[in-house]
Amino acid sequence: MFQGLVSTANRLYGTLQRTFLRGRPALVEAPQLPALPRSFKRLERVVLTAEVSRTLFEEYAAHRASQRGEEEIGWVLLGVREVDHAIVLATLPAGAQRSAGVAHVQFNKNAQALASRIVRQWDKRLVMLGIVHTHPGNLRHPSDGDFHGDSAWVGQLRGGDGIFAIGTAEAVSDHGGPPHVQTMNGLTLCWYGLKQGDDNYRPLPVEVTKGVDLALPLHPVWETIEAFANPLERLCVQQAGMTFQVVGDAAGSALVVCLKLAEPGAALRIVLKDRQAAWYWQRGEELHGISPSCEQLDRNVYLLLADLAAGGKDH
Amino acid sequence: MDFRPLNDTERRQLISALRGNVESDAAILMDRRNTSFAGTAEEVTDDEVISAIKSVPCHY
Repeated sequence: MFQGLVSTANRLYGTLQRTFLRGRPALVEAPQLPALPRSFKRLERVVLTAEVSRTLFEEYAAHRASQRGEEEIGWVLLGVREVDHAIVLATLPAGAQRSAGVAHVQFNKNAQALASRIVRQWDKRLVMLGIVHTHPGNLRHPSDGDFHGDSAWVGQLRGGDGIFAIGTAEAVSDHGGPPHVQTMNGLTLCWYGLKQGDDNYRPLPVEVTKGVDLALPLHPVWETIEAFANPLERLCVQQAGMTFQVVGDAAGSALVVCLKLAEPGAALRIVLKDRQAAWYWQRGEELHGISPSCEQLDRNVYLLLADLAAGGKDH
Repeated sequence: MDFRPLNDTERRQLISALRGNVESDAAILMDRRNTSFAGTAEEVTDDEVISAIKSVPCHY
Protein backbone atom coordinates (compact mmCIF):
# COMPACT_ATOMS: atom_id res chain seq x y z
CA MET A 1 0.00 0.00 0.00
CA PHE A 2 2.82 2.40 0.90
CA GLN A 3 4.59 1.82 -2.42
CA GLY A 4 1.35 2.53 -4.20
CA LEU A 5 0.95 5.68 -2.19
CA VAL A 6 4.47 6.85 -3.03
CA SER A 7 3.85 6.12 -6.69
CA THR A 8 0.62 8.07 -6.65
CA ALA A 9 2.26 10.93 -4.82
CA ASN A 10 5.17 11.11 -7.24
CA ARG A 11 2.84 11.10 -10.22
CA LEU A 12 0.86 13.94 -8.78
CA TYR A 13 3.97 15.83 -7.69
CA GLY A 14 4.45 17.33 -11.14
CA THR A 15 0.80 18.27 -11.29
CA LEU A 16 1.12 19.94 -7.92
CA GLN A 17 4.09 22.00 -9.03
CA ARG A 18 2.36 23.06 -12.21
CA THR A 19 -0.84 23.87 -10.41
CA PHE A 20 0.33 25.60 -7.25
CA LEU A 21 3.77 26.95 -7.87
CA ARG A 22 3.08 28.60 -11.17
CA GLY A 23 -0.14 30.14 -10.00
CA ARG A 24 -2.41 28.52 -12.54
CA PRO A 25 -6.07 29.21 -12.03
CA ALA A 26 -8.31 26.64 -10.38
CA LEU A 27 -10.11 24.13 -12.56
CA VAL A 28 -13.36 25.84 -11.75
CA GLU A 29 -14.00 29.54 -11.63
CA ALA A 30 -17.12 31.02 -10.16
CA PRO A 31 -19.32 32.65 -12.75
CA GLN A 32 -20.51 36.21 -12.40
CA LEU A 33 -23.88 35.89 -10.75
CA PRO A 34 -26.53 38.39 -9.80
CA ALA A 35 -26.83 39.31 -6.14
CA LEU A 36 -29.31 37.43 -4.00
CA PRO A 37 -32.54 39.27 -3.34
CA ARG A 38 -33.57 39.73 0.25
CA SER A 39 -37.16 38.56 -0.20
CA PHE A 40 -38.55 35.72 -2.23
CA LYS A 41 -41.78 34.91 -4.01
CA ARG A 42 -43.06 31.42 -4.74
CA LEU A 43 -40.80 29.62 -7.22
CA GLU A 44 -42.28 29.79 -10.70
CA ARG A 45 -39.54 27.98 -12.62
CA VAL A 46 -36.20 26.30 -12.24
CA VAL A 47 -33.25 27.03 -14.51
CA LEU A 48 -30.54 24.42 -14.99
CA THR A 49 -27.19 25.09 -16.54
CA ALA A 50 -26.54 22.86 -19.52
CA GLU A 51 -23.83 20.97 -17.67
CA VAL A 52 -26.05 20.40 -14.64
CA SER A 53 -28.77 19.00 -16.89
CA ARG A 54 -26.27 16.81 -18.72
CA THR A 55 -24.70 15.61 -15.46
CA LEU A 56 -28.04 14.46 -14.08
CA PHE A 57 -28.99 12.49 -17.17
CA GLU A 58 -25.53 11.02 -17.77
CA GLU A 59 -25.00 9.95 -14.17
CA TYR A 60 -28.54 8.56 -14.00
CA ALA A 61 -27.83 6.48 -17.10
CA ALA A 62 -24.46 5.35 -15.71
CA HIS A 63 -26.11 4.40 -12.44
CA ARG A 64 -28.71 2.27 -14.21
CA ALA A 65 -25.92 0.43 -15.99
CA SER A 66 -24.04 -0.22 -12.76
CA GLN A 67 -24.29 -3.16 -10.35
CA ARG A 68 -26.55 -1.09 -8.09
CA GLY A 69 -28.68 0.07 -11.00
CA GLU A 70 -31.90 -1.26 -9.50
CA GLU A 71 -31.58 1.07 -6.52
CA GLU A 72 -32.92 4.59 -6.30
CA ILE A 73 -30.29 7.29 -6.73
CA GLY A 74 -30.22 11.04 -6.24
CA TRP A 75 -28.41 14.37 -6.10
CA VAL A 76 -28.46 17.51 -3.98
CA LEU A 77 -28.88 20.72 -5.96
CA LEU A 78 -27.00 23.90 -5.07
CA GLY A 79 -27.42 27.23 -6.79
CA VAL A 80 -28.68 30.75 -6.59
CA ARG A 81 -32.15 31.65 -5.41
CA GLU A 82 -33.69 34.58 -7.25
CA VAL A 83 -36.99 36.29 -6.46
CA ASP A 84 -39.28 33.90 -8.34
CA HIS A 85 -36.92 31.30 -9.76
CA ALA A 86 -33.76 29.43 -8.97
CA ILE A 87 -30.65 28.68 -10.98
CA VAL A 88 -29.09 25.29 -10.33
CA LEU A 89 -25.32 25.53 -10.57
CA ALA A 90 -24.01 22.41 -8.86
CA THR A 91 -24.92 18.75 -8.31
CA LEU A 92 -23.74 16.72 -5.33
CA PRO A 93 -24.09 12.95 -5.86
CA ALA A 94 -25.67 10.61 -3.32
CA GLY A 95 -22.35 8.80 -3.03
CA ALA A 96 -21.33 5.15 -2.97
CA GLN A 97 -21.86 5.09 0.80
CA ARG A 98 -25.53 6.03 0.43
CA SER A 99 -28.21 3.88 1.97
CA ALA A 100 -30.46 2.83 -0.89
CA GLY A 101 -32.71 0.11 -2.20
CA VAL A 102 -35.46 -0.29 -4.76
CA ALA A 103 -37.78 1.87 -2.66
CA HIS A 104 -35.62 4.44 -0.89
CA VAL A 105 -32.44 6.46 -1.02
CA GLN A 106 -30.68 8.24 1.82
CA PHE A 107 -27.70 10.30 0.69
CA ASN A 108 -24.23 10.24 2.22
CA LYS A 109 -24.74 13.57 3.96
CA ASN A 110 -21.23 13.91 5.38
CA ALA A 111 -19.65 13.73 1.94
CA GLN A 112 -22.19 16.18 0.52
CA ALA A 113 -21.58 18.58 3.41
CA LEU A 114 -17.84 18.54 2.76
CA ALA A 115 -18.41 18.92 -0.97
CA SER A 116 -20.62 21.94 -0.34
CA ARG A 117 -17.77 23.57 1.56
CA ILE A 118 -15.43 22.90 -1.35
CA VAL A 119 -17.81 24.24 -3.99
CA ARG A 120 -18.79 27.23 -1.91
CA GLN A 121 -15.18 28.31 -1.42
CA TRP A 122 -15.54 29.50 -5.04
CA ASP A 123 -18.89 31.23 -4.50
CA LYS A 124 -20.44 31.83 -1.09
CA ARG A 125 -23.79 32.71 -2.63
CA LEU A 126 -24.61 29.11 -3.44
CA VAL A 127 -27.49 27.79 -1.37
CA MET A 128 -29.33 24.52 -1.03
CA LEU A 129 -32.13 24.48 -3.59
CA GLY A 130 -33.53 20.98 -3.60
CA ILE A 131 -33.26 17.30 -4.37
CA VAL A 132 -33.39 15.02 -7.38
CA HIS A 133 -34.11 11.35 -6.83
CA THR A 134 -35.28 8.49 -8.99
CA HIS A 135 -38.08 5.96 -8.89
CA PRO A 136 -37.55 2.46 -10.26
CA GLY A 137 -41.05 2.23 -11.72
CA ASN A 138 -43.06 4.77 -13.67
CA LEU A 139 -44.23 6.99 -10.78
CA ARG A 140 -43.25 10.45 -12.05
CA HIS A 141 -44.52 12.25 -8.96
CA PRO A 142 -42.98 12.35 -5.47
CA SER A 143 -44.50 9.70 -3.22
CA ASP A 144 -46.47 10.22 -0.01
CA GLY A 145 -43.35 9.27 1.90
CA ASP A 146 -41.40 11.94 0.03
CA PHE A 147 -44.00 14.54 0.94
CA HIS A 148 -43.89 13.59 4.59
CA GLY A 149 -40.17 14.37 4.77
CA ASP A 150 -39.95 17.19 2.25
CA SER A 151 -42.83 19.22 3.69
CA ALA A 152 -41.06 19.36 7.04
CA TRP A 153 -37.68 20.08 5.44
CA VAL A 154 -38.43 22.93 3.00
CA GLY A 155 -38.96 25.43 5.80
CA GLN A 156 -35.22 25.87 6.18
CA LEU A 157 -34.67 26.71 2.50
CA ARG A 158 -34.60 30.26 1.15
CA GLY A 159 -38.17 31.39 0.72
CA GLY A 160 -39.39 28.18 2.38
CA ASP A 161 -39.63 26.73 -1.10
CA GLY A 162 -37.81 23.70 -2.47
CA ILE A 163 -37.17 22.10 -5.85
CA PHE A 164 -37.71 18.39 -6.32
CA ALA A 165 -37.25 16.25 -9.38
CA ILE A 166 -38.22 12.64 -9.96
CA GLY A 167 -36.26 10.57 -12.41
CA THR A 168 -37.83 7.63 -14.19
CA ALA A 169 -36.78 5.41 -17.04
CA GLU A 170 -39.59 5.43 -19.54
CA ALA A 171 -39.73 5.24 -23.27
CA VAL A 172 -41.10 8.68 -24.01
CA SER A 173 -40.41 11.15 -26.77
CA ASP A 174 -37.38 13.41 -26.37
CA HIS A 175 -39.43 16.24 -27.84
CA GLY A 176 -42.39 18.16 -26.53
CA GLY A 177 -44.21 17.33 -23.33
CA PRO A 178 -45.30 19.46 -20.37
CA PRO A 179 -42.95 22.31 -19.37
CA HIS A 180 -41.96 20.58 -16.10
CA VAL A 181 -40.77 17.43 -17.89
CA GLN A 182 -37.30 16.80 -19.32
CA THR A 183 -36.48 13.75 -21.36
CA MET A 184 -33.25 12.44 -22.80
CA ASN A 185 -32.38 9.06 -24.21
CA GLY A 186 -35.32 7.31 -22.63
CA LEU A 187 -34.85 8.91 -19.22
CA THR A 188 -37.25 11.45 -17.76
CA LEU A 189 -36.91 14.10 -15.06
CA CYS A 190 -40.11 15.70 -13.76
CA TRP A 191 -39.64 18.91 -11.79
CA TYR A 192 -41.78 20.07 -8.87
CA GLY A 193 -41.86 22.80 -6.27
CA LEU A 194 -43.01 22.47 -2.69
CA LYS A 195 -43.45 25.45 -0.40
CA GLN A 196 -43.78 25.28 3.34
CA GLY A 197 -47.44 24.80 4.22
CA ASP A 198 -48.48 23.49 0.80
CA ASP A 199 -50.53 20.30 0.76
CA ASN A 200 -48.95 18.97 -2.43
CA TYR A 201 -46.12 19.47 -4.89
CA ARG A 202 -46.75 21.69 -7.90
CA PRO A 203 -45.25 21.17 -11.37
CA LEU A 204 -42.31 23.51 -11.91
CA PRO A 205 -41.38 24.52 -15.47
CA VAL A 206 -37.75 23.77 -16.20
CA GLU A 207 -35.41 25.69 -18.49
CA VAL A 208 -31.83 25.06 -19.53
CA THR A 209 -29.28 27.80 -20.05
CA LYS A 210 -25.58 27.91 -20.84
CA GLY A 211 -23.32 27.20 -17.94
CA VAL A 212 -21.28 24.70 -16.00
CA ASP A 213 -21.85 22.36 -13.09
CA LEU A 214 -19.58 23.89 -10.46
CA ALA A 215 -19.37 20.62 -8.57
CA LEU A 216 -18.60 18.43 -11.57
CA PRO A 217 -14.79 18.48 -10.97
CA LEU A 218 -15.53 16.87 -7.60
CA HIS A 219 -17.41 13.90 -9.07
CA PRO A 220 -14.25 12.00 -10.15
CA VAL A 221 -12.89 12.29 -6.60
CA TRP A 222 -16.18 11.52 -4.86
CA GLU A 223 -14.86 8.23 -3.46
CA THR A 224 -12.01 10.22 -1.89
CA ILE A 225 -14.42 12.81 -0.52
CA GLU A 226 -16.46 10.04 1.06
CA ALA A 227 -13.40 8.34 2.48
CA PHE A 228 -12.08 11.47 4.18
CA ALA A 229 -15.30 13.41 4.79
CA ASN A 230 -15.34 13.16 8.56
CA PRO A 231 -11.74 14.20 9.37
CA LEU A 232 -11.80 16.92 6.70
CA GLU A 233 -15.08 18.26 8.02
CA ARG A 234 -13.57 18.47 11.50
CA LEU A 235 -10.52 20.27 10.12
CA CYS A 236 -12.70 22.72 8.19
CA VAL A 237 -14.51 23.68 11.38
CA GLN A 238 -11.26 24.07 13.29
CA GLN A 239 -9.06 25.65 10.59
CA ALA A 240 -10.71 28.54 8.79
CA GLY A 241 -7.90 28.89 6.26
CA MET A 242 -8.18 25.45 4.70
CA THR A 243 -8.72 25.38 0.96
CA PHE A 244 -9.32 22.60 -1.54
CA GLN A 245 -8.48 22.00 -5.15
CA VAL A 246 -8.97 19.20 -7.62
CA VAL A 247 -5.93 18.36 -9.70
CA GLY A 248 -5.78 15.80 -12.41
CA ASP A 249 -3.68 14.16 -15.06
CA ALA A 250 -4.07 11.24 -17.40
CA ALA A 251 -3.86 8.86 -14.44
CA GLY A 252 -6.84 10.38 -12.69
CA SER A 253 -7.89 13.13 -10.33
CA ALA A 254 -6.94 13.89 -6.75
CA LEU A 255 -8.26 16.18 -4.07
CA VAL A 256 -5.64 18.51 -2.64
CA VAL A 257 -6.06 20.07 0.77
CA CYS A 258 -4.02 23.17 1.59
CA LEU A 259 -3.44 24.55 5.05
CA LYS A 260 -1.45 27.75 5.11
CA LEU A 261 1.33 28.00 7.67
CA ALA A 262 2.47 31.12 9.47
CA GLU A 263 5.72 31.41 7.55
CA PRO A 264 5.23 33.39 4.32
CA GLY A 265 4.84 31.10 1.33
CA ALA A 266 4.61 28.03 3.50
CA ALA A 267 1.77 25.53 3.53
CA LEU A 268 0.92 21.98 4.40
CA ARG A 269 -0.53 20.16 1.40
CA ILE A 270 -2.23 16.80 1.45
CA VAL A 271 -2.88 14.99 -1.81
CA LEU A 272 -5.81 12.61 -1.42
CA LYS A 273 -6.51 9.98 -4.00
CA ASP A 274 -8.91 7.10 -3.49
CA ARG A 275 -8.31 6.19 0.16
CA GLN A 276 -4.68 7.25 0.34
CA ALA A 277 -2.95 10.44 1.42
CA ALA A 278 0.40 11.91 0.45
CA TRP A 279 1.80 14.75 2.53
CA TYR A 280 3.87 17.74 1.44
CA TRP A 281 5.43 20.69 3.18
CA GLN A 282 5.62 23.67 0.84
CA ARG A 283 8.25 26.35 1.48
CA GLY A 284 8.13 28.98 -1.21
CA GLU A 285 8.70 27.12 -4.45
CA GLU A 286 9.99 23.98 -2.78
CA LEU A 287 7.85 20.96 -1.99
CA HIS A 288 9.12 18.43 0.54
CA GLY A 289 7.51 15.05 1.03
CA ILE A 290 6.52 14.21 4.57
CA SER A 291 6.14 10.77 6.09
CA PRO A 292 2.96 10.70 8.15
CA SER A 293 3.32 9.48 11.69
CA CYS A 294 -0.21 8.14 12.05
CA GLU A 295 -3.11 6.97 9.94
CA GLN A 296 -5.78 9.36 11.17
CA LEU A 297 -5.76 12.33 8.84
CA ASP A 298 -6.80 15.15 11.17
CA ARG A 299 -4.62 13.89 14.02
CA ASN A 300 -1.66 13.75 11.67
CA VAL A 301 -2.27 17.38 10.66
CA TYR A 302 -1.98 18.48 14.26
CA LEU A 303 1.08 16.32 14.92
CA LEU A 304 2.79 17.92 11.92
CA LEU A 305 1.75 21.40 12.97
CA ALA A 306 3.14 20.70 16.42
CA ASP A 307 6.42 19.54 14.89
CA LEU A 308 6.62 22.62 12.68
CA ALA A 309 5.81 24.89 15.60
CA ALA A 310 8.65 23.27 17.52
CA GLY A 311 10.98 24.02 14.60
CA GLY A 312 11.33 20.40 13.48
CA LYS A 313 13.43 20.05 10.34
CA ASP A 314 13.63 16.32 9.94
CA HIS A 315 10.55 15.85 7.74
CA MET B 1 -10.27 53.94 -17.42
CA ASP B 2 -13.89 54.99 -17.83
CA PHE B 3 -14.68 58.02 -15.66
CA ARG B 4 -18.19 58.58 -16.97
CA PRO B 5 -20.92 59.50 -14.45
CA LEU B 6 -23.09 56.67 -13.18
CA ASN B 7 -26.56 56.40 -14.65
CA ASP B 8 -29.61 56.33 -12.37
CA THR B 9 -29.75 52.54 -12.09
CA GLU B 10 -26.06 52.23 -11.34
CA ARG B 11 -26.26 55.02 -8.79
CA ARG B 12 -29.18 53.36 -6.99
CA GLN B 13 -27.37 50.02 -6.97
CA LEU B 14 -24.21 51.59 -5.60
CA ILE B 15 -26.09 53.45 -2.87
CA SER B 16 -27.93 50.25 -1.99
CA ALA B 17 -24.66 48.36 -1.89
CA LEU B 18 -23.03 50.95 0.35
CA ARG B 19 -26.03 50.89 2.68
CA GLY B 20 -25.95 47.09 2.81
CA ASN B 21 -22.26 47.17 3.56
CA VAL B 22 -22.73 49.61 6.44
CA GLU B 23 -25.83 48.00 7.89
CA SER B 24 -25.16 44.31 7.46
CA ASP B 25 -21.57 43.84 6.29
CA ALA B 26 -22.73 42.80 2.82
CA ALA B 27 -19.80 42.54 0.42
CA ILE B 28 -19.39 45.03 -2.39
CA LEU B 29 -18.13 43.33 -5.53
CA MET B 30 -15.42 44.83 -7.70
CA ASP B 31 -14.58 43.97 -11.28
CA ARG B 32 -11.04 42.62 -11.02
CA ARG B 33 -10.14 43.93 -14.49
CA ASN B 34 -10.88 47.62 -13.96
CA THR B 35 -11.94 47.91 -10.27
CA SER B 36 -15.41 49.11 -11.26
CA PHE B 37 -18.47 48.38 -9.12
CA ALA B 38 -19.84 44.95 -10.01
CA GLY B 39 -22.81 44.58 -7.69
CA THR B 40 -23.38 43.17 -4.25
CA ALA B 41 -23.21 39.76 -2.73
CA GLU B 42 -25.31 38.40 0.05
CA GLU B 43 -23.15 35.58 1.22
CA VAL B 44 -24.70 32.52 2.77
CA THR B 45 -23.03 30.86 5.71
CA ASP B 46 -21.62 27.35 5.53
CA ASP B 47 -23.74 26.44 8.55
CA GLU B 48 -26.99 27.28 6.74
CA VAL B 49 -26.12 25.13 3.74
CA ILE B 50 -24.67 22.25 5.73
CA SER B 51 -27.62 22.20 8.10
CA ALA B 52 -29.95 21.84 5.12
CA ILE B 53 -27.80 19.10 3.57
CA LYS B 54 -27.52 17.10 6.78
CA SER B 55 -31.26 17.22 7.34
CA VAL B 56 -32.28 16.02 3.87
CA PRO B 57 -34.90 13.36 4.56
CA CYS B 58 -34.90 9.87 3.16
CA HIS B 59 -36.66 9.71 -0.20
CA TYR B 60 -38.93 6.92 -1.35
